[in-house]
Amino acid sequence: MRRSTGRFVMLLALTLGIGSNTSFAGTPVVELRIRNHLFFPDTLEVPAHTKIKLLVINEDPTPEEFESYELNREKVILGHRKTVIFIGPLPPGDYPFFGEFYPKTAQGKIVVTAQQPSE
Amino acid sequence: MFLNSVVLILQEILEAALLISILLVLSRQLQLSARWFGTGMILGGIGAFVLSVNLATISEWLDYAGQEILIAGIMLAVLGLLTGIGLYSTLPPSPSRHALPYLMSICVALALSREGAEIVIYLGGILNHQESIQPTFTGAGIGAGIGLSAGVLLYFGLLSLPARWIFCTCILLLALIGGTMASQATLLLTQVDWITYSPVLWDSSIWLPEDSIPGHLLYALIGYEATPSLFQAIAYGLGFLLVSISATLGHLNQFRSRRTNTGDN
Repeated sequence: MRRSTGRFVMLLALTLGIGSNTSFAGTPVVELRIRNHLFFPDTLEVPAHTKIKLLVINEDPTPEEFESYELNREKVILGHRKTVIFIGPLPPGDYPFFGEFYPKTAQGKIVVTAQQPSE
Repeated sequence: MFLNSVVLILQEILEAALLISILLVLSRQLQLSARWFGTGMILGGIGAFVLSVNLATISEWLDYAGQEILIAGIMLAVLGLLTGIGLYSTLPPSPSRHALPYLMSICVALALSREGAEIVIYLGGILNHQESIQPTFTGAGIGAGIGLSAGVLLYFGLLSLPARWIFCTCILLLALIGGTMASQATLLLTQVDWITYSPVLWDSSIWLPEDSIPGHLLYALIGYEATPSLFQAIAYGLGFLLVSISATLGHLNQFRSRRTNTGDN
């Protein structure tokens, strides 16, 4: 009885992904910089069905908000600070993102490709 | 900058304005003094300022997950408060109802802190661009005006309903906001990998994009998402049920105590 409860709790924890914050060494890190209210690079190529750790570095003195309706992501990055946003795993396709505070210039997209991008 | 400022401020104000309107109608229906509203506004203003000043440091906590954890915490606290409001507003009037103004005031303070901090950060950043200050602040004023008008419209819209529907509609809307809080908290925790990825349930972005006017309105009112994940949908359902069940329990309790009183007489 106790064993099956333990197994159930473990299964529940696995299903809910509790403890998944202990980031695995395998999660690829992709760097994105904000400079003069522009994203560098403005197109990021990432492999399909893979979780990605997006490292966003804001080189501007002003704050920016990384936002994407397609990725369901939204995060404020203060001036001269950096932050981390996890995305995916995603099916192949284009996922535009923008800087909500300066959307006229701060535009970019994540291109998810079926094959591993060439190094 | 002008139009962007209108949209950005409107988005932030709208959510808080709708919540405040519903709580004000509920408070009026229960004949409570609206003093909690002022307290909530002042505390929310202070909260927004304190949060905006410290957000840079908070963001770096817990391996850059601090911002999401704090905001998800605030959202879950709002859900807890809405559950309490649902329960206490349906319980027999005295003395449990004394807790209601406190719950409403903290709820408004937390909601305003969260929404307000982003406005303070955005407008604070604009101060570095001399030429953008005037259009941005004009836009912010207009955005805030539209958001507040929507709140006023909802307030009078709710009050114009048939009397017996007003209370139930308020509870229903609060339960929907409760669902939104749980769903958004789940999304934030997924963003920092504290909750694992779950598949997207549906994609309605072609029929009703999130960045359209109805999309924004529905997001503010019922937490509409064009591409929600499975865990978000589950969280939404649980948040909705939590508030609605607590209100139903309070109502049943009131019904029972009324019957007992009748029996005593």
